[in-house]
Amino acid sequence: MGRRKSSAVSSLAALIILCVASLALFTVYVKEGDSGPLHTVQLGASEVLRPVRGLLGLAASPLSAASERVGNVMNVEEKRELEEKVLEYEEGAAEAARLRQENERLRQLLDGQRPSFTYSPLASVVAPVGGQLTKRVKINVGTNDGVQPEQPVVVGNNTLVGRTTNQVTPNTAEVVLITDQSFAAGVRIVPPSGSDDDSSDDSHGEGLLRTNWEGYLGVDYVDLSAEVERGDFVTTSGRAGDRELLFPPGLFVGTVESVSSQDIDQYKKIVATPAVKAKDLQEVRVITDW
Amino acid sequence: MLETVQISVVRAALLVGLAAFLESALSPLLTFGWVGPRFLILGVVVAVAGLRDLQALLLGFFGGVLTDALSSALFGAGALGGVIAAAISVRAGDMRRKRGTGLYFAQTVAVAVAAYDLVALFATALVGQGSPPILSYLASGMFPDVLLNALLAYLAGGWLLRLLVAKEEAWT
Repeated sequence: MGRRKSSAVSSLAALIILCVASLALFTVYVKEGDSGPLHTVQLGASEVLRPVRGLLGLAASPLSAASERVGNVMNVEEKRELEEKVLEYEEGAAEAARLRQENERLRQLLDGQRPSFTYSPLASVVAPVGGQLTKRVKINVGTNDGVQPEQPVVVGNNTLVGRTTNQVTPNTAEVVLITDQSFAAGVRIVPPSGSDDDSSDDSHGEGLLRTNWEGYLGVDYVDLSAEVERGDFVTTSGRAGDRELLFPPGLFVGTVESVSSQDIDQYKKIVATPAVKAKDLQEVRVITDW
Repeated sequence: MLETVQISVVRAALLVGLAAFLESALSPLLTFGWVGPRFLILGVVVAVAGLRDLQALLLGFFGGVLTDALSSALFGAGALGGVIAAAISVRAGDMRRKRGTGLYFAQTVAVAVAAYDLVALFATALVGQGSPPILSYLASGMFPDVLLNALLAYLAGGWLLRLLVAKEEAWT
């Protein structure tokens, strides 16, 4: 009887000690820098597991492709081509709209093929990573290709899909997608190029791009007087208050899906549709300098 | 007549190691929204089912730390989840004899996954990465997650346990 009681006490003590050890690990991980030991362990493991993750991703791809085929009536290949064309059109339209809104000096600067952008080599999305509450992917370029933490990740020339996190190894980089709740970017809302509205930039609205807990991409802090309409383009503004530029201006993010506001609201409630869905991501590029 | 089983510690450790690997490498590919298989929890609950308390808790902690190291998740959250899963499995040990292996694993994994999801939610909220309101998460995230993993445990728990058994004894 006494031995059983003693065993129960020692088990409880072990449970408490291991829980405290777990919490200590958590605290150290949060407090340590990106070069701390726990982060280094994760980076090393990420590098080692890269081929395995790639293989597993490859093995899982037929499953997702099959479910996509069942869900879609249209031919997958045809649909992909159409989506690419739509994306190309929207990119061009957003670019044109943005340029029309800029002053003459900026228009001349950005005319043509964005000479100030430097891209990493084309990168493949290796696999999704992280827990159920995050939307992150791993790509197969890293510091060897000039990729650094906190750089914009795009599809095509200028469609923003996310940014790199601090988890960058020589051959891989972790990307937090724009639909992750920890992602935020200063954005500007511009009307489609066919619009006759030639009012100033501010009247079309600027705000902060964020994803709420329900998974909806939204633009927060847009003034009630802003003339935002469904179908307007959302592009990066290149600024976030007084903070250093995290994204260059003019990257296409998505289109406005709905706009609403009530009398008691201080700002408009804007829901946007991302230009590229996370599940469609295959090849991306990192803007390494601008 | 009741049965008691003696689990091989080495096999249990291997199962937990494999579960941690699958949790970090395969689980993100099979996660839809907030719902996905929790291989770590399933592995820990099954592996520690016949172990002594201290062995069970240490194995749960080991599996959690391994998962944290292999994934990009918040370090420590997986470790805590593993320890809690092991503790729940140990405490629920008597139920297996009364209710049968399948139901036992389903119920134990359900409780352990619920605890694991809550730990992940609070850890995410603590570091300010943004987390959903708890009631919405309970309804549309944790509940279906628990159901899915309980079903997996019901189907696979008994089979996994048979792989771990070193010696089976019958007693009356």
